[in-house]
Amino acid sequence: MSNKNIKVKDYIIKSAADFFTPIGLVLGLYIILHGHLSPGGGFQGGVIVASAVVLIYLGYGFEVSTKTFKPNVLKKSEAIGALMYTFFALLGIFYAANFCRNVFFNVGNPGDLFSSGTIFLMNAAVGYKVLTGVGFLILLMFGLLANKEE
Amino acid sequence: MTQHLPILSIITLFIGAFIVALIKEKNEILRNTIVLIATFLSFIFTVMMYKPIISEGNILTYWMGNWEPIKDWAIGIGLEVDQLSLFFGLFISLSIVLSALYSFRYIERETGKDKYYVLFLMMSASVMGFIFTGDLFNMYVMIEIMTFASVALTAFRNDRPEAVEAGFKYIAIGSIGSSLILLATVIIYAQFHTLNLAQLAGELYNNYTVTTIFALALMIAGYAVKVFAVPTHFVAPDAYMVAPSSISMLFSGIVNKAAVYGILRIIYVVYQSMNLPSMQFLLIFWGTVTMFIGVTMALAQHDFKRLLAFHSISQIGYVITGIGLTTALGITGGLYHALNHTLFKGLLFLCAGAVFYATGTTDLDKLGGLAKRMPQTALIFLIGAFSISGIPPFNGFVSKWIIYQASYEAGYAPVTIIALIVSVMTLASFIKVAQSAFFGQLPKEFKNVEEVPLSMRIPMWIMAILCILGGIIPSTVTKYLITPAADAVMNSAKYVEVMMGREFASKFYNNLGNAPIIDYKLAGYWQPIAWLILFGILLLAFTLVAVLGGFNPKKFSYADVEDAKYDVFYSGESAEFSHVGGSDLFWGLKYQFRHYFDFMHKIHSGLVNDYALSVVLTAAVILLYVFTFVR
Repeated sequence: MSNKNIKVKDYIIKSAADFFTPIGLVLGLYIILHGHLSPGGGFQGGVIVASAVVLIYLGYGFEVSTKTFKPNVLKKSEAIGALMYTFFALLGIFYAANFCRNVFFNVGNPGDLFSSGTIFLMNAAVGYKVLTGVGFLILLMFGLLANKEE
Repeated sequence: MTQHLPILSIITLFIGAFIVALIKEKNEILRNTIVLIATFLSFIFTVMMYKPIISEGNILTYWMGNWEPIKDWAIGIGLEVDQLSLFFGLFISLSIVLSALYSFRYIERETGKDKYYVLFLMMSASVMGFIFTGDLFNMYVMIEIMTFASVALTAFRNDRPEAVEAGFKYIAIGSIGSSLILLATVIIYAQFHTLNLAQLAGELYNNYTVTTIFALALMIAGYAVKVFAVPTHFVAPDAYMVAPSSISMLFSGIVNKAAVYGILRIIYVVYQSMNLPSMQFLLIFWGTVTMFIGVTMALAQHDFKRLLAFHSISQIGYVITGIGLTTALGITGGLYHALNHTLFKGLLFLCAGAVFYATGTTDLDKLGGLAKRMPQTALIFLIGAFSISGIPPFNGFVSKWIIYQASYEAGYAPVTIIALIVSVMTLASFIKVAQSAFFGQLPKEFKNVEEVPLSMRIPMWIMAILCILGGIIPSTVTKYLITPAADAVMNSAKYVEVMMGREFASKFYNNLGNAPIIDYKLAGYWQPIAWLILFGILLLAFTLVAVLGGFNPKKFSYADVEDAKYDVFYSGESAEFSHVGGSDLFWGLKYQFRHYFDFMHKIHSGLVNDYALSVVLTAAVILLYVFTFVR
């Protein structure tokens, strides 16, 4: 980011934030998407993705982090994530099984990314909910810190 | 369809909460519609379970994601709805609907309504989930959601500093309670590698080791914090007072009842330790202390809702005593009183909310004469007050009478006497409320007060009618609601059998299938004359004692009390308007028992540190008690 309007407190922290934010995002999204294949899952991956908010805050300060991640959007997205989860969980009932039942599980080869039916989608929904929810919580806490500094 | 009903009745509320979170704050009509639809659907789904569960006597089990137990190991999360769960679920979902209906107009002048409804639905959904789940860790998760939603709703009117303070107290004390429950859950899971209630019931059957007793003590202490039993009750009055009335109603009506359900489920079904005299004594003693201290503290209050909060604690004491008796009659009385308490205490909180809506205050010293301006609210209040005081023909009389009978039959005559005295004191304090809020002089600033809108009166009338019905047709209510639930409490073998299969259950229970018949004899219940004679004898005895003790009304002197209100009254202009304030009606009693009240006042210090200490001490005492006496 080479925007001159942004005041940078410390170049080392900013560079580190620039360097680690993409890594954190990719790693978090990887863990969310591979929740059904490898250890981890929606919650763990979501928290890692939400750590991007912390990195942006450390590198660029509170104002930039609220501009980058709009709190209202995050709040609504959390509800959308929860609704998505309930929708995919309710699919189990529509397909004549129980709530949370994994349906379409025999699609694709075992071990592939798209091979596990709705459990993959439920996991993604949880990840979305957690990354937005935890991100919002972190922003909220930084907001309290920012108010104190004034 | 039938097997999906438990999850549907929980998930509709959760979906409602998530949709409400998406709606813009100003779009009121859409939001209210969704809240009403979600709560009403949940109620309908719960009612639809009545036929298979209570009429036909089945128990619904539901395995999330079809993870059924294999080789007697329950790995998945299961829901299990038996008659006890459904009994609680029915009146809880009803009060959720009524509270939602009441909220629409009641909080119309507040800001942040979108957050209110999200939290409202989250709390309701978590209570329904808590009632219907068959999984120990699910119970913890649900009670945690419940606690946090309750904390946020307590601090909903965050422009008032006392609301934020009460919210902070609630989160501190509630988290200690949750931590105790979590610790117990962890210990049980580490020991038995399962969280399913039915499987645990099998594992824990007559299995008292040091570990299980430790977990039992922590469970009891944790749920006692949630139920606000006496040494842990300090936060309840603060929270009930500042929360919106529709939420105070849910606190006493569903959050408290969920904790009662937790106690019942843990000690009757999972541990089956209620055949031990030591456990019976613990609950009966605890319940009696709770009811007594709650009501005496209520006498000293001069805030409408704070007074109701202490009564809530006191009435929960009746419920705990009833379920601690372990006889069929005792459990019937306890469950009936739990139902009645939800109805009449919800009604009274809604009345307090109506008074607040109309006048903007709940301070009894400032109110007065509202019956002229709000006749319906006053009438509804009287119905609720008579119900809670146990006056026939209202529902409180029936359940209290069963508890008196049961405690006397079980050989706890002192408990019966204390319960009677508490009931009288309840009546006394409600006379005080009626006198200082609804009768007497109308203060000038309330000249233009109007009756509350229809949508607030409808829930109040529904509850009032249910209060009267519960008192007029008690045998029908017991037959179709209470007895099946009490039966489910007493026959925990069936719970295990349905969930884990007959083979698993028969390893632990020898007498499968032959349920002990509930010994339902409400001896004396239909003889109010005996009650009247007892009342006459007590009155005579009281008069005799008073006369022998040298009672002489002419010789009254209040020399050591410096206050104008104790002076001799002559006449004059200044005394033309002499409204007796709410806190002054029973000043004589308060003066006689001033040492007791001073002590109680000191205990209720308002410091969260003291409250936390008392919770920890309670847990320690229970640990000692349980380790000493439970074998």
